[in-house]
Amino acid sequence: MSELAIEVRDLKLSYVSRQSYSIKNRLFQFKKSERKEIEALRGVSFDAVKGEVLGVVGKNGSGKSTLLQTLAGVFEPDAGSIDLKGNGISLLSLGTGFQNELTGRENILLNGLLLGFTRAQLRDKTDEIIAFSELEQFIDMPIYTYSSGMNSKLAFSISAILETDILLVDEVLSVGDANFRKKSYDKMRRLIEDKDRTALIVSHQETTLRDLCDRVLWLDRGLIREIGETDAVLTDYLEYMK
Amino acid sequence: MLLKFLRDLKKYWPYTVQAAMASLKAEVAGSYLNWLWWILNPLSFMVIYSLIFGVVFRAAEPYFPLYVFIGITVWEFFNHVIVHSVSMIKDKKNLLVKIYIPKFVLILSDMVVNAVKMAISFGVIAVMMLLYRVKPGVSVLYVVPVLLCTFLFTFGIGSLIMHFGVYIQDLISVVNIALRLLFYLTGVFYNVETRIPAPFNYIVLRLNPMAAFITQIREALLFGRVTHWGLLLAWFALGAVLAVFAVQVVYRNENGYIKVV
Repeated sequence: MSELAIEVRDLKLSYVSRQSYSIKNRLFQFKKSERKEIEALRGVSFDAVKGEVLGVVGKNGSGKSTLLQTLAGVFEPDAGSIDLKGNGISLLSLGTGFQNELTGRENILLNGLLLGFTRAQLRDKTDEIIAFSELEQFIDMPIYTYSSGMNSKLAFSISAILETDILLVDEVLSVGDANFRKKSYDKMRRLIEDKDRTALIVSHQETTLRDLCDRVLWLDRGLIREIGETDAVLTDYLEYMK
Repeated sequence: MLLKFLRDLKKYWPYTVQAAMASLKAEVAGSYLNWLWWILNPLSFMVIYSLIFGVVFRAAEPYFPLYVFIGITVWEFFNHVIVHSVSMIKDKKNLLVKIYIPKFVLILSDMVVNAVKMAISFGVIAVMMLLYRVKPGVSVLYVVPVLLCTFLFTFGIGSLIMHFGVYIQDLISVVNIALRLLFYLTGVFYNVETRIPAPFNYIVLRLNPMAAFITQIREALLFGRVTHWGLLLAWFALGAVLAVFAVQVVYRNENGYIKVV
């Protein structure tokens, strides 16, 4: 039995509609303040062993992104537990809060500090990130001059070089031009095939999932419909989606 | 809780400062002279208030424009941080849905931004003091503890308002009214102690910390007097309690903020 890296038990999470409370309504009772709740996760339990690559599939709105965000610590679950066994975790998704008026280089520093790296560590890593991103002289230009492809390249490079024990990937396997796409795919592959690194990948691309994942988890309206061998789950999922 | 706060503070301080610098830089990015507005803005208000209250209402504080300018400088710091704190979580949503950061860091970072602007204003104050030939005494040092107190108080109130701003959609309207009332009760363009009839002047001075802070800074800078130090001590203690309470409330609820969409 290998060492567990992620242990999730009966995870529940719901969103509350923002229109829930206003002083005006409280004072004048124009309309009863309504409390709308959307259940995004309704009791999800699974394990991932260290080094495993777990794919996540499901229709839009089935709770895939919410699951990744909850694992990343953005949300407090309403019920259930998450045990990451002390591993560092990061969520790789496009444009992690870039500041448009700042240069690429400044955004690397800002993002790195946010991920908990020190200035000294970042000094070493920055050149590597810039080299990987292929942005060259653009790295000292403000982000608003970037095309969306360049933006994605930078975002990917930051997350890829500043690696953590557990990597959560939300639909970023196809970024930039064909050349960079191949490169980032290979980099991603190397990252997640590292036997110490555990990864959760959300993707709609069947080939990607078959190629990268050891197992696949199928989410349906906030519940796990099926979890198991990649081929078996994907076959069922595609059958269902027809 | 306090330990967690100190640990987080240490861990996220580099980010806090960097984010503040980034935000300042973003403000001046449009044109090179944008930072001039950080000086021109309070200066213009000084001219307006000096004209209206100095000429029309015949206010007669010594060094009147300078007197007003000090008031504006400190008030604007408090005012901006509080107004920003209402929608802080909503404004930073793009970032917060991707990564966990202790939410008090957002308030702290905004305070650094406004403290830098305030520092520039204090530079202008120093120049004006030279022009008015104000002879600063040792009492100038008293400004430091008063400002620390202002920071502590602003941090506590700002954090609490950030918290309630998540759940109450029209909080900004209420905050704006409250700030306007507080502004007039702070004596930015008049002397709270002499202009408000007794005993209300002492009530305002004791209950409104911003009035106390601004009065103290003026007295220290312009008239070489260290005043109300007992009151300052009391507000320091109260500010500390408030800040601890606010941090606790924010810690307990912060991971639910983003769920309120």
